[in-house]
Amino acid sequence: MLAKKESNEKEVACQELREAIGAEKVRDDEITRVTYGRIRHGFDRMWPFRKPCFVVFPETREDVVETLKLANRYKIPVTSVGTAAIVLGTTEGGIILDQRRRDKVIEINTDSGYAVIEPGVSFDKLTSALRGTGYKCSVGTMPGPGTVLGQGLSRGSQSFTTRYLNVILDLEVVLPNGTVFSTGSSHFENVGSHLRYGPYPDLAGLYTCAYGAMGVITKAAIRIHPVNEASRIHFAGFDNYSDAVDYVKDLINNNIPEHTFIWDWHMYLSWPLASSDMDTVMPKILESDVREPPEGTPYNMVSTLLSGYKEQVDVYEKICAKVAKKCHGSVLSDEEVEKRFPATLAGFNQQYGDFHYREAVHWSKGRFAGWYVFAEPKDIKEVEKFAVNELTKFGKTINPISYYSHPFDFGRSFLLRIAGFPDPDDIELRMKIGKKFDEMYDLALKRYGAVPIRPIGSDRAGTYMQVLRSIKKTLDPNNILNRDAGLFEEGEL
Amino acid sequence: MKLTTTLEDVQATASRCLRDARCTYGSWPENQPLCPIYWHDPSFSFSGGGYLFTVLALLDNKIDFDQSMADYAFSCSSCRACDSNCSLIRSHTPYVDILDIIRLLRREAVKRGFVPEGPAMKIYEKVKGNGDYGEVSEFKLPPGISSDEAETVMFAECSHAGPQKEISEVVVRLLEKIGNPVTQFAEKGCCGSTLYDFGFWEQLEPLAKAHWETMKPMKDKTFIFINPHCQEFVVNRYPEILPDFSTVDNQHFSQVLADAFKDGKLKSKNKGTIKVSYHDPCYLGRGLQIYDAPREVLASLEGVELVEMERNRENSFCCGARTLGNYVPNLAEDTAKERIKEFEATSADLLITACAYCKGMFQQVLPDKDKDRVKDLAELVEERT
Repeated sequence: MLAKKESNEKEVACQELREAIGAEKVRDDEITRVTYGRIRHGFDRMWPFRKPCFVVFPETREDVVETLKLANRYKIPVTSVGTAAIVLGTTEGGIILDQRRRDKVIEINTDSGYAVIEPGVSFDKLTSALRGTGYKCSVGTMPGPGTVLGQGLSRGSQSFTTRYLNVILDLEVVLPNGTVFSTGSSHFENVGSHLRYGPYPDLAGLYTCAYGAMGVITKAAIRIHPVNEASRIHFAGFDNYSDAVDYVKDLINNNIPEHTFIWDWHMYLSWPLASSDMDTVMPKILESDVREPPEGTPYNMVSTLLSGYKEQVDVYEKICAKVAKKCHGSVLSDEEVEKRFPATLAGFNQQYGDFHYREAVHWSKGRFAGWYVFAEPKDIKEVEKFAVNELTKFGKTINPISYYSHPFDFGRSFLLRIAGFPDPDDIELRMKIGKKFDEMYDLALKRYGAVPIRPIGSDRAGTYMQVLRSIKKTLDPNNILNRDAGLFEEGEL
Repeated sequence: MKLTTTLEDVQATASRCLRDARCTYGSWPENQPLCPIYWHDPSFSFSGGGYLFTVLALLDNKIDFDQSMADYAFSCSSCRACDSNCSLIRSHTPYVDILDIIRLLRREAVKRGFVPEGPAMKIYEKVKGNGDYGEVSEFKLPPGISSDEAETVMFAECSHAGPQKEISEVVVRLLEKIGNPVTQFAEKGCCGSTLYDFGFWEQLEPLAKAHWETMKPMKDKTFIFINPHCQEFVVNRYPEILPDFSTVDNQHFSQVLADAFKDGKLKSKNKGTIKVSYHDPCYLGRGLQIYDAPREVLASLEGVELVEMERNRENSFCCGARTLGNYVPNLAEDTAKERIKEFEATSADLLITACAYCKGMFQQVLPDKDKDRVKDLAELVEERT
């Protein structure tokens, strides 16, 4: 009886919203609801199926405001998503707010160095819009259609983090009661988005890693970076991760790289593959042990983006060679990389030449199972050994065991993201991997002070979570926003 | 795809989708919208990935087959943009086209008796009644060039697209002008491409087998096709559904025309200057990778200036003709109108294409006074040689 009442209420709410924002923006047909019923990591049977009551496709900020006000009034949960939401859990019977139609690049400010975008803007769209402006943006290791905002808010890995912790400068937020505000300097009339916070506290931080639970973002300003007179990718090979970290840290301490990435050999060989290589290169990788690279294949490759005036870059290149030698590594010339790892070079050229991302076809091998943490440089070295050791226990069945690692904020913290690719249908194995990852997060936190990139349960964060819950209750008293998306324990506050 | 393939067989491939809509737009940096249904109503459900998720949901018993499922499945325009742009599904072994998975969904709908009202139902009823969807071909080669000994064979059976008959007549006259000996294949019957596209697979296998038996004695000759759908189907799909099929040399008629100009067998006459735009048909372009020949033909015509539409070659936008489902109202017409809008933006006088379905679809949405502005490449060549 109660369920029927709820269902009727939702039908009324759906109709009401259609009248408010336009029928074409609200869909409640069965196919739409089902195709939005399991959006986490693709249609993954490991995750619960939660069918929304309807899906909203806002085209303006006002559409978002109307949707939230209505949802708040009817107390219907709302999950805000973009084109490739792969970390969110959704809510049964809730509303999905799919912001893909809000995909305008509103402003590219080449004076201050930021771009103002709508939430549905993808990396492909922004990187394209930036061509010819003399500016580039950070690109992640997610597919080009993934949203810039989604990546920025979840603080995933991306290029140009060497000098920054966060790409977000300013956010426009809508609260469930319909309040709209900006977190940064654009909150003042006629002021742009150049300043993330001040003279008031940094509210953008409240929305970073909040997975939509604190408000719905309707506009964002993100950092963009100048394309210099010269830029070059420098490659160095290392036999172990510890040397690679020392190399990266040394370069950063001497203000050399615009950006650096450390890759294990499974990753640098398989990530940039073209579809046609999947039958040739991939089988060899699948049969190998990641700890034992073939003779002459460096265990780690470090890609370093050097940029500036040409004279500057020439000198930087020499310094890289010097530091690589100091750290027991060796320079891999472009010719050598092209000859031995052509796909790798093509991938990097695309990422650092055109500044857009090469689609990761290695995902077609299996379902992504990733484990990611941040740690201080000396600790991340231990974390790498620990993580590789634990993942290889699952055997070759989860190959390629791919990881990459890169510094944030001048190397104060390093990210390590390691992933295997188990058979999507092998739910039992994947559950085992999931359980193992939880154990690994616990151990890495205790032993190495490694901070997980995603929430791992509120009981570990004590009073931090208490404060966060209080804020959440104030901003979203009916707990409608991204209720099951992962910030808090599922369902209730 | 083998005709014995089931939804279960494609589950692993479908589950690789990351739901990122990469299947809906063309190459970077243009990122032009290419998938008609997604362009019309941007939503994950209306993308290649949405169809894959629907298949997975069916297998997971989260949704049932009903009439709306058939309408949804038949609403995809089969333009192949998804398969051209998603690298992820293409990289999975064994490779299955996204479009083939959508066709499988249609096949399952038809098997369960769900067929959209309108053109799809008409095809279904005809196929059910006749066991075929073909018409008696009126294609007759002129005696001057018709020769059983010829090394080239006209694959002349397609006659169920509206404008196909008039195009075929033009083709015959041009073949006569070119003067090379040619022979002819098939008297009646659909090659199977329509049956394959729309899930009428029960009748397809015997039909394709019968065709192949007739083609076999000529398999060492070069087959010339007028309709890219037939060519793509015979060249790319017969090998999948006929175990003893062996590759045949093949050319689209636009390639024959391009060769004829190069060999001096066709000569352009000056009929004044005109601007034309060329619409790449999905199956000639993305299906067979034939982009240059039609443009070479246009370049051979004196006074004809080609003005490209914004979306062209592999990034061409579909005409909408093969959209037979009713899930999204007016999708076929709106798709064609969108393409016409793009054509109008070029200020060209004529819209040239090389597929009877495209020509018919564009003419359907144009006012009577403008219908003559759409021509098949062969028709333009006949007028100007």
